[in-house]
Amino acid sequence: MRPGRRIREALTDLWLVGPGVAAMLALIFVPVALVAVLSFTDYQFGARSFRWVGLENYHRLFTDPIGRKAVTNTLLYVAIVIPFSMTLALLVALGLHRLAQTMPRLSGILQAAYFLPVAATLVAMAIAWQMLLHPSIGPVNAVLKQLGLPAPDWLSDRGLVLYTLAAIGIWQSVGYNMVLFLAGLAAIPRHLYEAAAVDGATRGWERFWTVTWPMLGPTTLFVAVITATNAFRVFETVATLTRGGPAFASDTLVYALYREGFVYFKAGYASAITMVFFVVMMVLTLAQFALIERRVHYR
Amino acid sequence: MRRLLIAGLMVSAAGSAAAETVSIRVHYAIPTIWAETQKALEAAFEARHPGIDIVLDGPAESYAEGVQRLLREAVAGTLPDVAYVGLNRWRILEARGLTQPLDGFLGDRAAAAEAGYTGALLSLGQYKGVQHALATSASTLVMYVNPDLVARAGGSMEDFPTTWDGVIALAARIDALGDDIDGIWIDRHDWRFQSLLGSFGGRPMNEDETDITFDDEAGIAAATLYRRFAQEAGMKSYGDDQARQAYPAGTLGIMLESSSLLARFQKAAGSRFEVTVRKLPIAASDPSRVYFPTGGSAIVMLTDDPAKQKAAWEYMRFVTGPEGAKIIVENTGYAPTNALVLKDESYLGAFYAANPQAKVAHEQVAEHAGPWYAYPGAEGVAVTDLIAAALVEITEGADPETRIKALAETLRERLGMKR
Repeated sequence: MRPGRRIREALTDLWLVGPGVAAMLALIFVPVALVAVLSFTDYQFGARSFRWVGLENYHRLFTDPIGRKAVTNTLLYVAIVIPFSMTLALLVALGLHRLAQTMPRLSGILQAAYFLPVAATLVAMAIAWQMLLHPSIGPVNAVLKQLGLPAPDWLSDRGLVLYTLAAIGIWQSVGYNMVLFLAGLAAIPRHLYEAAAVDGATRGWERFWTVTWPMLGPTTLFVAVITATNAFRVFETVATLTRGGPAFASDTLVYALYREGFVYFKAGYASAITMVFFVVMMVLTLAQFALIERRVHYR
Repeated sequence: MRRLLIAGLMVSAAGSAAAETVSIRVHYAIPTIWAETQKALEAAFEARHPGIDIVLDGPAESYAEGVQRLLREAVAGTLPDVAYVGLNRWRILEARGLTQPLDGFLGDRAAAAEAGYTGALLSLGQYKGVQHALATSASTLVMYVNPDLVARAGGSMEDFPTTWDGVIALAARIDALGDDIDGIWIDRHDWRFQSLLGSFGGRPMNEDETDITFDDEAGIAAATLYRRFAQEAGMKSYGDDQARQAYPAGTLGIMLESSSLLARFQKAAGSRFEVTVRKLPIAASDPSRVYFPTGGSAIVMLTDDPAKQKAAWEYMRFVTGPEGAKIIVENTGYAPTNALVLKDESYLGAFYAANPQAKVAHEQVAEHAGPWYAYPGAEGVAVTDLIAAALVEITEGADPETRIKALAETLRERLGMKR
């Protein structure tokens, strides 16, 4: 007896969707669940036993001065990188978009130049930054001294190091955001500017404020989420330039996670940091999905 | 038919010979320093012991990564038979019960000392009286000096200061030479602090590791050095990478760093100036209390199969013996960890004649090698970063005595020493 049509269809569905779902379960959901379980233990990497410690790991992350420092440093870093990176990227995109109408080749070259930091390996770039910012033999301080300005210890002054890393983070993300804004600008229909001109908006600022900026709204929100996601993940520059130092002044969430898990072997605590990071990323991703939905609405 | 018989016999003979060959899997780290050395050790050992086949695992990039890999392999049941690990890291393996005690193999201590394993060298791999590891390469903190800057500051290498006061005064004069010239630099780091502590005759912990002892006079004196380097000699707050660029560039007068960096500095400095090594000043009133914590690597036995253990011990004895030590010293520049090679000129006499700076560094290891204390328990590695952070604060102006005492209290709490 052949199974009914419905059952056969259900089996086909299962056959089509099953492998993908199984891979996702095995490679994403199961490990996340394991990490979630570990985060309630004091498990040490390689140890033979562990103890349940409840919420102690989470409590420690938000109360221990070093744990809290990693959280606040990350938030401060994100709070600096998002506005600066987006504003600079928007300015560059507007300039290059305009330039493309008169000198398309130069505009293309400049676009490539701005995009270079994105394409280059950040670890290699970090080493270049380290030499540039060397307090006594670095070119940056040599120029500052020539100008009679103070020559700070960019990477080893506790009060300054996080801002230096944020500046490098901005440098690195401007090119990427610029490309997104350029795409947004190219998608604005010309007739809107013509309509605005008919209504009397002829000056650059008026055109920007009445047409460009509202039309870039969805792009801007999208760029904000992408920048936030990347900024929260800051790791390479911290690991190669400062190792979270001096004295934890540039410790960030992901670096702390690496340090606790792979240097201190405290797998339980590192798992708790991972879960907090996971939740932040989840919220940002959901926001991103919601925004992409909104974007369709504008068309 | 006869031929066939002979061929058959030969095959079976070859088969049984193959069965007698024991293969030993060896783990090591840092291929940039060790890859060539490991191959040389393997070739020399196999020439001596045809029945033992050495199989080198792909190296780990660093000692930290190497230990991670070993722990993963322990969980998966695929541990190698022997492993080279950082001298401050074998305790991580010991704490998880992975290392095999070596006392049974070493025999009595008098015989071991005869074979070049002196008490000081053995102490690097001991915990609670049990031998878990044997040192294979050693380095201690030394002073790298730029003789040109010393001369410009009115000093000379002949009467180079041998007290901390003298070193600080000279560093201050070098620092005054110009805006872009620095007098002295030391990393704010657990191992460096333990080294200064040792110069004052102090110890980080008591004998049975149940209490922190660096908040005594010696510890405060060691921490005060950091304060004085910054205050009197203008020490900058460089990270180690930055300082390792500045010294070979010729802008740093005195750098306190690991003796293992000698070859790297000589290469980086090129013909700019002659990289010169000086031993650390000894500040303790009782010089017999002085020791310098020793960095480098040690070899541990991980296999629990008796047949493999026997072969593994042959290998360990070879690489820690005079012949192995000669190969390691000549290839890596680390100090030897077998006393015989220092007594007998025939091993390293030519090497030291060609490398007089290495000789100075290696003498200090031979005179004052001592264990690099690893703090016990789950928080053991984490607290070394707290020590580093406290040293940063002291360098930047915190009172050494108050800060070191507070640090010791924090460590007692984190390490569960308070009952």
